[in-house]
Amino acid sequence: MNQTPPSVFEPAIKTVSPFSLRRVMVIASSSVTQLVRMKTFYFLLAFAAIIVVLMSLNPPTTPAGVLSTIKRISFGTMDVFAWLFAIVSTALLIPKDIEDRTLYTILSKPVRRIEYLIGKLLGVLWVIAISLLVMYAVCALALWSRETLYIAEELEAMNADARYSAENVSAQIALIEQQGLRPELGIAVLASFLKAAVVASVTIFLSTFASSSLFSIIISVLVFIIGHAHTMATSFWLYQTDNSLFVQLLLKVVKIFIPNFQLYSFSHGIIQGEAVAYSLVWQMTGLTGVYLVVFLFLSLLVFIDKEF
Amino acid sequence: MVSFFRKTPRTIIVLTVLAAFGLVRTPFENRLGEQLIEAKLVVPPPGMTVLDQMGQSALMATLGGLRPLVAGFLSLRGYENFSEKNWDELRQTYLVITALEPLEESHWVNAIWHLGINATANMELDTKLPGFERKRRFHNYAQQAIEFAEKGLEQVPDSVPIRKQLAEVYREKLKDWENAARVYGEMMEFDDAPQYAERFHGYFLAKVPGKEQEAYNYLKDLYDEGEHQHLPTLIFEIRRLEEELKIPYPGRIPDAGPDANLSRPQKPSSPVLPGGIVIP
Repeated sequence: MNQTPPSVFEPAIKTVSPFSLRRVMVIASSSVTQLVRMKTFYFLLAFAAIIVVLMSLNPPTTPAGVLSTIKRISFGTMDVFAWLFAIVSTALLIPKDIEDRTLYTILSKPVRRIEYLIGKLLGVLWVIAISLLVMYAVCALALWSRETLYIAEELEAMNADARYSAENVSAQIALIEQQGLRPELGIAVLASFLKAAVVASVTIFLSTFASSSLFSIIISVLVFIIGHAHTMATSFWLYQTDNSLFVQLLLKVVKIFIPNFQLYSFSHGIIQGEAVAYSLVWQMTGLTGVYLVVFLFLSLLVFIDKEF
Repeated sequence: MVSFFRKTPRTIIVLTVLAAFGLVRTPFENRLGEQLIEAKLVVPPPGMTVLDQMGQSALMATLGGLRPLVAGFLSLRGYENFSEKNWDELRQTYLVITALEPLEESHWVNAIWHLGINATANMELDTKLPGFERKRRFHNYAQQAIEFAEKGLEQVPDSVPIRKQLAEVYREKLKDWENAARVYGEMMEFDDAPQYAERFHGYFLAKVPGKEQEAYNYLKDLYDEGEHQHLPTLIFEIRRLEEELKIPYPGRIPDAGPDANLSRPQKPSSPVLPGGIVIP
């Protein structure tokens, strides 16, 4: 039973694993709490108010036309709220941690900086996902109630009129259903989420070297606008300057450095009733994953040696 | 490697990674963008001429990716213009809406309906304006509706609803039977065309001076398809053309038959309103 006592030269601290998903999750859940405490979910009330106003409108058009208008405005608002929320909340998180001195406490613990960044980003993405789901639920309820009402009215009116055959009735109902609540609309919500995720990753990168939240917000919005205008600005500017070489070079540089957010507008076609091309949706999801990895890596490059 | 990383300014590393990523993803994104436009999931950028007509807000919306949202709100403004009978403003609104969402055929249909049917009807009824001005504006609005239809068909070439609405303008407002027949003729080529398109093509062709024989042959072929085509208006038009073309009696459609006691549907007999409008 000869047991050698531990040497005084052995390290007192256990070795820290290079990456821990648990630590990431702890930071992510604390970020969610932080965002909830910042009363960020209050913007859902504004969204609900927009839906209520929309539901009270009765434009002089066909039932399918009304449903299409409701759908386009509500999903458009949802998309705006998602990316705006992604920018503002991500831009606020790191500076808030510095201001509250929480960052010093976290980084003095055995937490890797990459874990901190991933945790923060995941926290924002959770809140965005929850918000989008709530907005979608509100929107789906509104659409479904209108659709049910219109179908009942049309059936009653058309069945009472002997001029309409069963074929006419089903064609009219199909027209309403096409603009109503369909499972494909979930993919439109996914499109908004993917766009917001890329916006959040760009903002987290900007906030690693930004001097203030305001700077991060302004630059992120600017990047978002330029990222959307890529295609149109390219053709417009080249048209205006008669394909000038300087403009061509400048546009190429912009295209290389700024993400193409125009691609993420694929929810537009789905909302209008186009068939979903799932292979393209998968490619967009993959592209988003790559964006997240690259921008997290860039954020780490700046953040790793940063002294607070 | 580590020492090189430590010695190199971080900004240069970040810019290099960003540029390398940009160079790798750009060709992929270009191809993906084309596929998304082809699948009609992403709207192609508006044309250069349309950009000049856009207001500042709409242009900003295009830049900021708010196209569906702005188009949605502008549709509501379009309805407001309609209820105020502000037709010129309505045309401007729909120019922007259709520029923002050129692939949404309901915008084109609404624009044609508002200008070609509502605005022209308003000109027929508006007694505040002198007769010549009403006539001039009537033709202006109808022409604007046709222009919208032409642009809409450039964007959505297989659209039946746009053709349906255009044919209504030719038929109900301009009484241009030749063009009405042409549009119905185009429409019937599509799978989702209404069944009446093939008959309407013949009915309106029958009204075009000089096309009687062509219309007769066409309608007779339809009649010969079978009982399902023996409809009152079709029989009425064939009989009228038989008389006009002096078709020998043995070649004429039989008088007796399942439709013998059917006559052409009567027009509604409401009092005639200013401009010759009859409301059913």
